[in-house]
Amino acid sequence: MHEGTASSHPGLNAGGSMIQFFRVYKTYPGNIRALANISFKIEQGEFVFVTGPSGAGKTTLLKLIIRAERPDQGEIVVNKRNVARLRHSQIPALRREIGFVFQDFKLLNHKSVYDNIALVLRAVGHNKREIPKRVRQVLRVVGLEDWVLKQLPLKLSGGEQQRVAIARALLNTPAIILADEPTGNLDPDLTMEIMDLLEKVNALGTTVVVATHNTGLVAQYNKRTIPLYRGRVAA
Amino acid sequence: MGALFILRRGFGIMKENGPAHLLSIGTIAVAFFLFASFLLLPLNFASVLEAWEKKVQIILYLKDGIGEERIPPLTKELRMIAGISEVRYISQRAAKESFERDLAGYGGVLKGLKEGIFPASFEITVQERFRTPERIRTLAARLDTIKEVEEVQYGGVWLERLSLILYTLRWGVWVLGGVLVAIIVSVTANTVRLTLYNKRGEIEILKLVGATDAFVKLPFYLEGGLQGLVGAGGSILLLLILFHLFSCKVAPYLSFYFGQLRLSFLPPHMIAWILGIGVAAGLLGGLFSLRKAGGI
Repeated sequence: MHEGTASSHPGLNAGGSMIQFFRVYKTYPGNIRALANISFKIEQGEFVFVTGPSGAGKTTLLKLIIRAERPDQGEIVVNKRNVARLRHSQIPALRREIGFVFQDFKLLNHKSVYDNIALVLRAVGHNKREIPKRVRQVLRVVGLEDWVLKQLPLKLSGGEQQRVAIARALLNTPAIILADEPTGNLDPDLTMEIMDLLEKVNALGTTVVVATHNTGLVAQYNKRTIPLYRGRVAA
Repeated sequence: MGALFILRRGFGIMKENGPAHLLSIGTIAVAFFLFASFLLLPLNFASVLEAWEKKVQIILYLKDGIGEERIPPLTKELRMIAGISEVRYISQRAAKESFERDLAGYGGVLKGLKEGIFPASFEITVQERFRTPERIRTLAARLDTIKEVEEVQYGGVWLERLSLILYTLRWGVWVLGGVLVAIIVSVTANTVRLTLYNKRGEIEILKLVGATDAFVKLPFYLEGGLQGLVGAGGSILLLLILFHLFSCKVAPYLSFYFGQLRLSFLPPHMIAWILGIGVAAGLLGGLFSLRKAGGI
């Protein structure tokens, strides 16, 4: 098996799957078990909820997908890459295929919206001349207008800040969007707006994984769910 | 990834954390100032020693009663000895005349002095490559074994003391340099660590969107290196100003006591070394803090 490419493990068949976990275990120092024996598949273009109460392992699961954490055991294949066996130098390439959206937006509050987005494009080596065009393009996708570009994030509403964060996640035209409690800081109206936006992104062909503890939200959307409870997939 | 963008980001990071960087650069400058001053001391001390070494002569005082007929073969014998470039015989009469010339103003006092109290001697000039304390000492010891020789004088004690001081200074500089480099690395590492702490949000985002290690880390190395460079450069500038003031205002007064002082500033290659050490120590500081930050 080649390093970093999809595993030929008998349990894994990366074929049309975008994300595949096979018997994944993750324990943090202090013998804190975060995930145990996790196996699932998410197909290309699917919209999936990962649900469960706080401490169920949702965030750890997302971190394993982007190789912010490494599994103790098991195999993870993301977009035909064997994530568990990626070399350190191959991690940036994996992450450019994945957009990440956080509950707390993680915008740089001392930089303008434009700089928040442009920084990412510069970081991944986009042509300098194309950056302004690409920033405007992605802002339109998330329903924001040019006037926000010069604003500092804290001048915007929560919903607008999350839209900027989603715009940033979409910059690299990722195959996957991972959202960790993306509506956790938003009121119900803004929650619907952001969920609609994620659906729109999904409709464009991007695989979307939303981790949430909000069962009411999950109930409103007819999507597949991966329920976690104390680090295991709940039956 | 544009080098210019990385450079701008490096400067931007320094600007955002301005006061901490100024403090850090100031500390580095003080440390390098001490180091450069200690380099300057032996440099000028060495030139004094060099000038003194050029004047070094060995004087062989001969025993009483050595006949004039022994002088030509002795002169020939001395010229054969390795390290001797010139041999000049000073007879008892010539020694008395020289003494009288030197103390001409005290005419009356010198009356009645007999030629016999001035010993005949040989003034020996040493070849340039033999003008080191060790070689002169060896040569003097050898000359002392000649049976006609009563005493050998060469001012060796002073020469050796000066050499010892110079030797201590030269080694002291490197010991001090080592300690100062450690201080600089530590100061830079702490400032970079502070910047890393302030920029952890940005770093997290950059890593998540797939920025390469080089893109994330280079500005911090640059920050450390720039601090070292600016600190070292500032120290040299300060030393140059003080050196200029010393040369113009203080050195003329000192020349009354020490003769004409030929002061020289650090040569370009030494300045380049100091700047280089500054950059290297700064980079090392950046490296240490990034290593400590682990996940970055």
